[in-house]
Amino acid sequence: MRRALVVDDEPFAREEMCALLAASGEFEVVGQCANAIEALQAIRRERPDVMFLDVQMPVVSGFELLAMLEDELVPQVVFVTAHDEFALRAFDENALDYLLKPVSRERLARAIERIRRFSGDGARPAYAGAEIKRIPCSGARSLRLVAVADVELVKSGPAGVYVVGPGGELFTELTLRVLEDRAGLLRCHKQFLVNAAHVEELTIADNQVGVVRTRSGHQVPVSRRHLAAVKARLGL
Amino acid sequence: MNVVEPIGALSMERLVLSLVEALSVFFVLFHFYVRSRSFRPYRQDWLTPRGRVGLYLFFSTISILGSYLGVRLLGGGIANTRAVGAVLGGILGGPWVGLAVGVTAGAQRLTLGGFSAFAGAVATTVDGLFGGLAHLYLRRARSPERLVDWRTAFLVTAVGESVHMGIVLLLARPFDDAVRLVELIGLPMILANSTGSAIFMTLLRQRTTVYDEVGALTSARALCVAQRTLGLFHRAFDAAAASGVAPIILEETGVGAVAITDKTSVLAFVGQGSDHHRPGTPIASDYTRQALVTKQVVFADGVREHFECTLSPACELDSVVVVPLEVDGDILGTVQLFEPRNKRFRSMNRSLGEGLAAVLSNQLLASRFQEQKSLLVVSELKLVQAQVNPHFLFNSLNTISAVTRTDPDRARDLLSNLSTFFRKNLKRSSDLSTLAEELEHVGSYLEIEKARFRDRLVVEIDVDPALLSLKLPTFTLQPLIENAVKHGISARLGPGTARIRARRRDGLAVIEVEDDAGTWSEGPPGAGLGMQIVDKRIKNLLGEDFGVTVSCVPSELTRVTLRVPLAERPS
Repeated sequence: MRRALVVDDEPFAREEMCALLAASGEFEVVGQCANAIEALQAIRRERPDVMFLDVQMPVVSGFELLAMLEDELVPQVVFVTAHDEFALRAFDENALDYLLKPVSRERLARAIERIRRFSGDGARPAYAGAEIKRIPCSGARSLRLVAVADVELVKSGPAGVYVVGPGGELFTELTLRVLEDRAGLLRCHKQFLVNAAHVEELTIADNQVGVVRTRSGHQVPVSRRHLAAVKARLGL
Repeated sequence: MNVVEPIGALSMERLVLSLVEALSVFFVLFHFYVRSRSFRPYRQDWLTPRGRVGLYLFFSTISILGSYLGVRLLGGGIANTRAVGAVLGGILGGPWVGLAVGVTAGAQRLTLGGFSAFAGAVATTVDGLFGGLAHLYLRRARSPERLVDWRTAFLVTAVGESVHMGIVLLLARPFDDAVRLVELIGLPMILANSTGSAIFMTLLRQRTTVYDEVGALTSARALCVAQRTLGLFHRAFDAAAASGVAPIILEETGVGAVAITDKTSVLAFVGQGSDHHRPGTPIASDYTRQALVTKQVVFADGVREHFECTLSPACELDSVVVVPLEVDGDILGTVQLFEPRNKRFRSMNRSLGEGLAAVLSNQLLASRFQEQKSLLVVSELKLVQAQVNPHFLFNSLNTISAVTRTDPDRARDLLSNLSTFFRKNLKRSSDLSTLAEELEHVGSYLEIEKARFRDRLVVEIDVDPALLSLKLPTFTLQPLIENAVKHGISARLGPGTARIRARRRDGLAVIEVEDDAGTWSEGPPGAGLGMQIVDKRIKNLLGEDFGVTVSCVPSELTRVTLRVPLAERPS
């Protein structure tokens, strides 16, 4: 039995997919998600083998979701969508397969065959993450997308990862590593990223530890390990 | 022997006065010439072959008269004003005209005899040539304005007459007599001829300025017609539109009669002769056929060429301008202006005809553009309908597929909604529908969407029942609701509400379609097009004063407001 996650914003579409998967006898559905944010959490929690992923979802699309995941968390992905305008893109994303709604049992069987074949060789699919331009952040009541250009710094603590920008500190499901790799933010400390475009000043103390000050006055520590890279990126 | 003696005790001053007398005869002649029909008021006409012949004849006459009206001296010398005609002929008509006038007047001078006859003939030819060279020079220097300048005339004549005196000294024998002749007539002739030329040119300039003003008046009349006829050809080029336009042209231009034809028959005829020139009859005149075939203005001016009515021998109409109406290279018909035989002053000319043609052709072009624009709207509408369907269709089928497992009755209802929706999409072809029909169409769509999004989509409809029979362009509501669902509600993580309201306000019907996502400002791709088409169709079908406006509070509200008339406008 493979552990499957179903991600689709339409309840009946999820229900239909779950029914089909159950009928195949090949999958245990470990979660259903109505949007990409729920999916980010579920993937961390459940570590599914396969994800049946709708492309068009509110706020963060299926493609964007893949870009927001750390490589080792990415399951096998089968896109499920109502129209084929995304087919080529799906193959660019190294999707394992691509199903059109409504999905027939025969077509699902072929997809299962592919999943079996590919997971046999033990190779993880590489979804060469697209660039992240907007970071989904949970506010008090709602989800907000913060443009990467507006972000000043990102910090990680016991409570999770927080994006600091004009709207204050906002919680995000994304990890520092994903944001470093795919949002182009600069790593300056084990627990901090800074947006190089917002850096106004770098102060270096004797012990090779520094502090950068951002345009709006935030102080971000720079560890000895990252000082050289920070100096290089800032052109110093 | 003293051969060169003035007759009587003629002093130099008397000589000058005599020459001025001769010049005044010219001015009288000129006065009649510029008022005659053979005078061509427009400068561009002077350089046509016909214009050049006219200039040659007139200035040769002037030049020859210059010899006759000159003061004969003992020994055959003549103090004369021959140079005026030759120089002016050259300046206005170019070197060939100048040369021809000079040779003609010079040859004539030979017949008058005298010891300086040959020298005078040569000198006049040289005068004409000088005028012609000045013409060439000024045209090459791109200052043709200076052709009709008294300073030019004065200078060229003064130089020409100085050379004239030189030639007399060179060619006339005996030399002593030549010297005495030049001493006596040199200064008076240079002065008189130069001044004469200059005055001549001043008068000519005044006269052409008068004609320029007439031309400006003509343009002004064409513009008045343009303003008043604006919109009459808006819908079509037909008898109804033509019978609206023709009286306006008649009134504004003050001609005797106005006709508008298409390519085969008379659409409208107003003014004198409307007793036998009747709308609806086939085109009778060759002028019209000629204009239709050549696409050129045809002008029978009533002087050289007379309009001859083929319908009635008693027809008073004597002259006509036939103007072809051309749109995009196609001839649609003609506009014709007529004047009767007995009219003293004709308010019609070729340039008025051309002005009117340009104005009316432009209006026809605009109306054709309008027609194509509405065709475009129809095809865009079809495009949008086609764009909507696959996405919606497959998601709906997927939903129904799921519902079938748990609730077959509900699935059957959804299928029936889907059928209703597509049937209306395919079948409705008329331009206008009632609000009730629109709501029904939208209702079947919303039933399916509510099933797809379940508790994420709430729909509220609040319509004034009196407005259910309101007429709207078909497919007005559907694209707006679809925008609200597709780009509004379905772009939100949480639940959303779509509202449709219809109310009467300020004598209008106001329909609002809103969602509480407020994503409009983010410019959802494709959402603008559907709305633009709805707006265009309302304006085309119900009038320019109505249409669609959008307001948006980001993340809170997008409201699309339709304003339409309560009653369909009378067409």
